[in-house]
Amino acid sequence: MSAFTSPQSGSIRQPLPAARRKRPDRGLLGAIAFIASESMFFSGLFVAYFFLRTDTSLTIRSDQPLHPSIALPLFNTLILTVSVVAMAWAERGIAKNRQRNLIIGTTIAAALGLIFMLLQSVEFSRFITAGFTPNSSAFGSTFFALLIFHVLRVFAGVTFMVIVLIRALMGQFTQNRRSAVQACAAYWYFIFIVWLLVFAVLYGM
Amino acid sequence: MASVSIPIEKPGTWGKVAEWLTTVDHKRIGIMYLASSFFFFLLSGIFALVIRLQLAAPGLKIVDQNVYNELFTMHGTGMIFLFVIPFLVGLGNYIVPLQLGARDMAFPRINALSFWMLLFAGLVMEGGFLIGGTASNAAWTAYVPLSTKQFSPQVGMDIWLFGIVLLGISSTLGGVNFLVTIYTMRAPGMTLWRIPFFTWSIIVTAAMILLATPVLTAALIMLISDRNFNTQFFTTANPRLWQNMFWFYSHPAVYIMILPAMGVLSEVIPVFSRKPLFGWKAMVISTILIGVLGFSTWVHHMFVTGVDPMVERFFMFTTMVIAVPTGVKMFSWIATMWKGSVSLKTPLLMCLGFLSTFVIGGISGVIQGAIPIDMQVHNTYWVVAHFHYVLFGGSVFGIFAGLYYWLPKITGRMLNDKLGKVQFVIMWIGFNTTFFPMHILGLEGMPRRIATYAADRGWDIPNLIATIGAFMIAASVLVFMINYVVSIIARKGEVAGDDPWEGNTLEWATSSPPPVYNFAHIPVVTSNRPVYDKRVAAQVKPEG
Repeated sequence: MSAFTSPQSGSIRQPLPAARRKRPDRGLLGAIAFIASESMFFSGLFVAYFFLRTDTSLTIRSDQPLHPSIALPLFNTLILTVSVVAMAWAERGIAKNRQRNLIIGTTIAAALGLIFMLLQSVEFSRFITAGFTPNSSAFGSTFFALLIFHVLRVFAGVTFMVIVLIRALMGQFTQNRRSAVQACAAYWYFIFIVWLLVFAVLYGM
Repeated sequence: MASVSIPIEKPGTWGKVAEWLTTVDHKRIGIMYLASSFFFFLLSGIFALVIRLQLAAPGLKIVDQNVYNELFTMHGTGMIFLFVIPFLVGLGNYIVPLQLGARDMAFPRINALSFWMLLFAGLVMEGGFLIGGTASNAAWTAYVPLSTKQFSPQVGMDIWLFGIVLLGISSTLGGVNFLVTIYTMRAPGMTLWRIPFFTWSIIVTAAMILLATPVLTAALIMLISDRNFNTQFFTTANPRLWQNMFWFYSHPAVYIMILPAMGVLSEVIPVFSRKPLFGWKAMVISTILIGVLGFSTWVHHMFVTGVDPMVERFFMFTTMVIAVPTGVKMFSWIATMWKGSVSLKTPLLMCLGFLSTFVIGGISGVIQGAIPIDMQVHNTYWVVAHFHYVLFGGSVFGIFAGLYYWLPKITGRMLNDKLGKVQFVIMWIGFNTTFFPMHILGLEGMPRRIATYAADRGWDIPNLIATIGAFMIAASVLVFMINYVVSIIARKGEVAGDDPWEGNTLEWATSSPPPVYNFAHIPVVTSNRPVYDKRVAAQVKPEG
């Protein structure tokens, strides 16, 4: 008999006076709370963007791409959308204990995340060669702040997916033990939503 | 049952140090939080004493005016970011899992990370004194353009900003940890309404930290990048961008600093009045309301900066509305003591100190919340008086109430009650001597943040009185430290036992200090006063 099974420990598992509901997983809850905090970080950046855009004391020079070419970011949106679908497919897969879905889905999602980062760097260099940089004006600073902080989150998300992938290859996830996958997927969805907002605001408005 | 004896090696001195450095136990992390933030309290307090010496008489030159700017900046940020917030978080770290009947926080390693980031962030912030010789001197608000490279070129400003970014990450992680812990690790039977009140106030505080801090972090990163990478966030733009982002964090920060102290009061007053907390649900709801409304008042710091008058009126309204849930709390505490069998031990005295001074700070807050009055008193010593009545009269008295109440649990020894009373009397008189005259100075027009003043302004006598008071506060803190050394380090204090105060909540159901695992058996909770229930049951039916 192990030292950890005392006579009372049996009674803890009994139904208790006040109904004890099954509580959500800690890891997933922590991820959701962290995402709430992250969303406030981006709210701060968006507020700065709109504040500087609507500030009449600022003159935005006409050579600055207030409406830059939309083709590349639109393609990037497509890439991120497919990546999110792949991640969702992987996450749903492990919920049904399908290891193959998890591994293939996460691989696709992470690879597409990498392609997104690559294309973003192409976009950055395009802006900079056109003379539009974070240093050129207050507008340029907020414009790039949203793009750069978003792509940093993509990097974090891809890192998270690589960790999930390594753990998946080691067979660490099952139907009942998948909170890291859920947390990773939740963070990836969040990054996708932020991208949609960044894209709509920076390129659409 | 076969018993196996495992040889336990007693750690040597270095082993003990290594144990503390690598610990993930919420109690040890809590103690390290308390110790390190008390260190920053003493440091920032010494800065305050130098400030008061400089202002004791007109025309003094005890410190250079540039050094004076560093001193009040580091006094303010030290007290706020490195003492009050982390001290209350540290108290929460120690007490919350015990009150929940849990064995640790939900993420023990993240908990350790939060502490170590806090400690090093604090050292980085203070490091400006050593690196380059000049710490941050743009006041705790660090308004642009004063805080830009042009007007604050020192590297001390950069590392101060970087330190606050680190602090933000530390407290965000702490906030996540508290929320998940409280949500998932409550003892069986502990429904939402049975969560102890201190823990309730930590829930609201953690949520506020989680939602407010990232906005400040964004602003700080923007400022750092302006200073070092030539971006243009604040250089050409309207300076109100920084002010809005700063106060969007820093006004909720006021409630982050006061709500846990209010939580301490809501634990201590019922125990020392031998009555349940009056209006439990109203108290919880008012805490949540303060948390929500706390996000909608920040513009009242900017009434003189040319905000649209309609916007100003909205924020004047919300500022005054937030006094309502605060008033609910004041009346609930008084009603809790009403006709109770009150025992005037030090923890309760500290609570009375809170009630008597915080109410002045609260009322002066409503007064200056009115736009026309704010226009007059803005940037004067009236404001300094107001926020010290809230933050010292509120948070610091709350902190000492919590210390006298919980140190017996943390250390296993009682602090000396007589010395505690001496400390209370000196601190209460010293506090009012220091800060009440500042109301008068403010109304007479003395501006904040000036290194000296002319003799013909008539500000010398209130300033001298305030300086005397500041040294009384220092003496009272000294009395506390003597009390701690005598009672706890020299082991002269009485042994506390499990439950010295006949408390209500689960931290009193385990030994003092609690074992590493907190509870041998996770207790089952049937009300919001589980230990009281157990005590009453034992009296009705003696154990057979």
